[in-house]
Amino acid sequence: MNKFRSLFISLISVVLLIAVAGCSGGSSESASKSGGDGEGKKVEIRFAWWGDTKRHEIYNSIVDRFEEKHPNIKVKREFGGWPEYWEKMATQIAGGNAPDVVSMHQFYVSDYARRNSLLNLDELVKSGDINQDQFDEATVDSGKVDGKIYMIAKGITMSGWAYNPALFDKLGVSYPDPNWTWEDFGKKVEELKAKGIWGTQDFSGGQLQPNFRYFARQNGQDLFTEDGKLGFEKETLIKWWSMWDDLRKKEAIPDGATSTEYESAPLEQNMFVTGKTAMHQIPANQLHLYQEQFKEGELELVPYPNVKDGENGEYIEGAYLSITQKSKHPKEAAMFIDFFVNAKESLELFKVEQGSPGSAEMAEFVKPLLSVPQQKAVDFIQEVVPDARPAAYAPLGVNEVEQAFKDNASAIIFGQHSVDEAADKFMKTAEGILK
Amino acid sequence: MKQININVAAENKTRKVRIKPARILLHAVIISLGLLMLYPLIWMVLSSFKENTEIFQGGSFWPKSFTLENYIQGWTGLSGITFGKFFLNSLFVVGVAIIGNVLSCSMAAYAFARLDFTFKKILFAIMLVTLMLPFHVTVIPQYIMFNKLEWINTYLPLTLPKFLATEGFFIFLIVQFMRSIPRELEEAAEMDGCGPIKMYWFLIMPLSLPALITTMIFTFIWTWNDFFTQLLYLSDMEKFTVAVGLRMFVDAMGESSWGALFAMSTLSLIPLFIIFIFFQKYLIEGITTGGVKG
Amino acid sequence: MINPWGVDTSIMKSVLRKNAVAYLFLSPWLIGLLALSVIPMGASLYFSFTEYDMFSSPQWIGLENYSGMIEDPKYLKSIEVTLTYVLFSVPLQLSFALGVSVLLNRGLRGLKIYRATYYVPSLFGGSVAVALLWRQLFGGEGLVNKFLASIGIEGANWISSPDTAIYTLIILAVWQFGSPMLIFLAGLKGIPNELYEAANIDGAGKLKQFFSITLPMLTPIILFNLIMQIIGAFQAFTPAYIVSGGEGGPLDSTLFYTLYLYQKAFAHFQMGYASAMAWALLIMIAIVTAVIFASSKKWVFYQE
Repeated sequence: MNKFRSLFISLISVVLLIAVAGCSGGSSESASKSGGDGEGKKVEIRFAWWGDTKRHEIYNSIVDRFEEKHPNIKVKREFGGWPEYWEKMATQIAGGNAPDVVSMHQFYVSDYARRNSLLNLDELVKSGDINQDQFDEATVDSGKVDGKIYMIAKGITMSGWAYNPALFDKLGVSYPDPNWTWEDFGKKVEELKAKGIWGTQDFSGGQLQPNFRYFARQNGQDLFTEDGKLGFEKETLIKWWSMWDDLRKKEAIPDGATSTEYESAPLEQNMFVTGKTAMHQIPANQLHLYQEQFKEGELELVPYPNVKDGENGEYIEGAYLSITQKSKHPKEAAMFIDFFVNAKESLELFKVEQGSPGSAEMAEFVKPLLSVPQQKAVDFIQEVVPDARPAAYAPLGVNEVEQAFKDNASAIIFGQHSVDEAADKFMKTAEGILK
Repeated sequence: MKQININVAAENKTRKVRIKPARILLHAVIISLGLLMLYPLIWMVLSSFKENTEIFQGGSFWPKSFTLENYIQGWTGLSGITFGKFFLNSLFVVGVAIIGNVLSCSMAAYAFARLDFTFKKILFAIMLVTLMLPFHVTVIPQYIMFNKLEWINTYLPLTLPKFLATEGFFIFLIVQFMRSIPRELEEAAEMDGCGPIKMYWFLIMPLSLPALITTMIFTFIWTWNDFFTQLLYLSDMEKFTVAVGLRMFVDAMGESSWGALFAMSTLSLIPLFIIFIFFQKYLIEGITTGGVKG
Repeated sequence: MINPWGVDTSIMKSVLRKNAVAYLFLSPWLIGLLALSVIPMGASLYFSFTEYDMFSSPQWIGLENYSGMIEDPKYLKSIEVTLTYVLFSVPLQLSFALGVSVLLNRGLRGLKIYRATYYVPSLFGGSVAVALLWRQLFGGEGLVNKFLASIGIEGANWISSPDTAIYTLIILAVWQFGSPMLIFLAGLKGIPNELYEAANIDGAGKLKQFFSITLPMLTPIILFNLIMQIIGAFQAFTPAYIVSGGEGGPLDSTLFYTLYLYQKAFAHFQMGYASAMAWALLIMIAIVTAVIFASSKKWVFYQE
């Protein structure tokens, strides 16, 4: 038995040694190594993103142009689809082998930033290595966690509601008014149902943002407070879920099973594209992808419905670039990011690949290069951005809170819980996680 | 043995004549089940000839107009690296993996099935236990290890473990087959002064051919399709494999090139098919020769 | 020559030699075990006693992860889902595979094509195409319902009703029965023809031959397939991951054990908890496997 224990202990110590070595390497060396970059020494950085082939092609070309301009910097590229991207990155960071520049997203930034995996970019921005002079304040703020800059926006977007005017004309239903309220929204959904089409798909659950977040913010609250507590009251949640429950009971939106069936469907197969629903919440930058799926009619976007006498729900979403904490070449990584978001050579390729460029100047610059639906999306974003207010980033544990939100929403959808029960359960779970 | 084979063939012939209606029914059952099995393949192949927008809309099973656009677009790959390169890379990885698995797993299996040694039962149990831990929790320590060895972005994490018999599945498989081989053959060989190493190579290996072929087929298919390890350890596009390449077409957060995905998926099934047909020929012939030797 | 312990050294020598030869054959596997398996497994065992978010160093918390599991309703649900899946998919898949392989093992014309055809679904593995396809088949407007409608039955939304979703995944498992089928086929090939010849001479019918020759001769392979399919089914991940979009919905009805484990590890960043789950699963599988092995002495026949 003793032998086993000593074997076990020695084993564990080997593991720990490796783990510790894997986790600690780098940070101390980073300063010394990046010092001598200007003197023509060849430096290699790695850049990772998610996307499909078209995006890979675009980003590859942007990187090529950067390398041309900075022959002493070689940029290795790593890319994959959305789910694998995050799994690979988590593994790489845990393994002490993360890329220098990574693509970041609001869903995950608080997880990575709050666990000290991302570099605080304040210094690099202050020193001008990354120039954000042309960025709107709201855009800059959207890259901050706890007041520190962790992300630089490559593209920003706003969520809105898309509809196909051609379909509305055919049904004889008036278009949604850009200044509509949630009551108007409900009436519109019912009116559409009366004409034989579901008004919209069930957006009561799923991710916490953007839909419920808009509603909470319009009610003067938010998902989370600055100090990482739950930012909304149970009443708000009950109002939200009741509204959807009502529509569901009136069969103005699809039943639970049908909603679930389409939940994980790809864009090309979702309810809106396949003509089962008439209105759909989308991020504005995807308007042209949706447009491609419609043979007739030019899709239009309207802002979110309001809460009567409520506040603006708008906040900036987007796709971002970050530098990982253990990057050995933060200076070169910063140069790359700066090139990516500010250089014309880069933006003329990027256009609005992941949203309207963060830099207002560049947003104007790319406009003439865009297709009609892309321009429409940029116009929409620029129109709504002034309404945007800062939105606190999630505390640790947000993923579990979101899971509870999803679970309880589907419990209502499938009639397992009443709205009140579900809201009760959610509040308890969420407060337990964020205590 | 040859005599018997001829007898069987002759017997088959007479049987065929005797119960023909039953045979036809049998074929009918097998074919209709087969169609059920093939439906997705047919659907995918047909979709690969459709325009991108037609795949999900229009609803017709048959493409309105056959287009090769998806194949051209897919094969082009990215930044000058074509799918052909990915195919070569995959074939290389798979080839090495097959050699590794067949050698190392059959060696270990021979020891477990035929040799006596201390700790045999415990080691066998340990071998099985290594199969029982979900890989999601070992992926990070493993990554750290390979990173320390500076094997990231090489084929080593994908191939070298195969030479160390890390896939217990195949050890166990071959063990079960070896245990079905009659002992008398070995006893006879032993009398002739045949040592365990010769016995392994000249007697047991040929007799285990069905198991070895099965190992080859599975190694081929599983390695060919295993995208996550390959994605995790390969970063340079020049090193990409087919499984990783296929993932480039899909973006869960936006647009996907379904047509190109289906086109390249179709192509990627071809080697699997060829290997399968090729090996299953040997699967059958292998037994006969084995029998003759015995 | 007698040594102080009273053991004949020639016996000892032969034992040593036997061991040396055996360990020579085992050496690649042993090296692999020590170098590639033991460390990651040991690490995950250690993590299971810690709070570990993958990015910060693990904090020792003793058995907290394990005790937390018992109180976690989703965890218990995932066990229920997984057991259902194991109990249905393994026997169905194996009997299907065995039946088809026996069918295909007769001297049929076109055998090769049939065999390849039946293997096709297994070639797909966890491709995205399968997810699209399953929706086409079992969705509200899927082919299954179209078929049912043609004979006057109104079908449900199979893939996304909490009561039926898991069964569509069981069908998926049965549909991908190619691997055990292939192994059975290889096993059937290993049964000496002489046995059937003898039985024919004795006038034994086909059914009798199946039960008195085929089945007993195949038991080592059945044991193998049984154990491997059980291990595989306990760890099933891909089907739910691709068909339910990684969520395990609706209402957690397809929340497989490893899917939940994966969520905990890579979505909730609780690698410690996930590791504890993994080791709990290992113990469960080990017990089941041990029971089967113990019982196998009664029903598995080896040629020795």
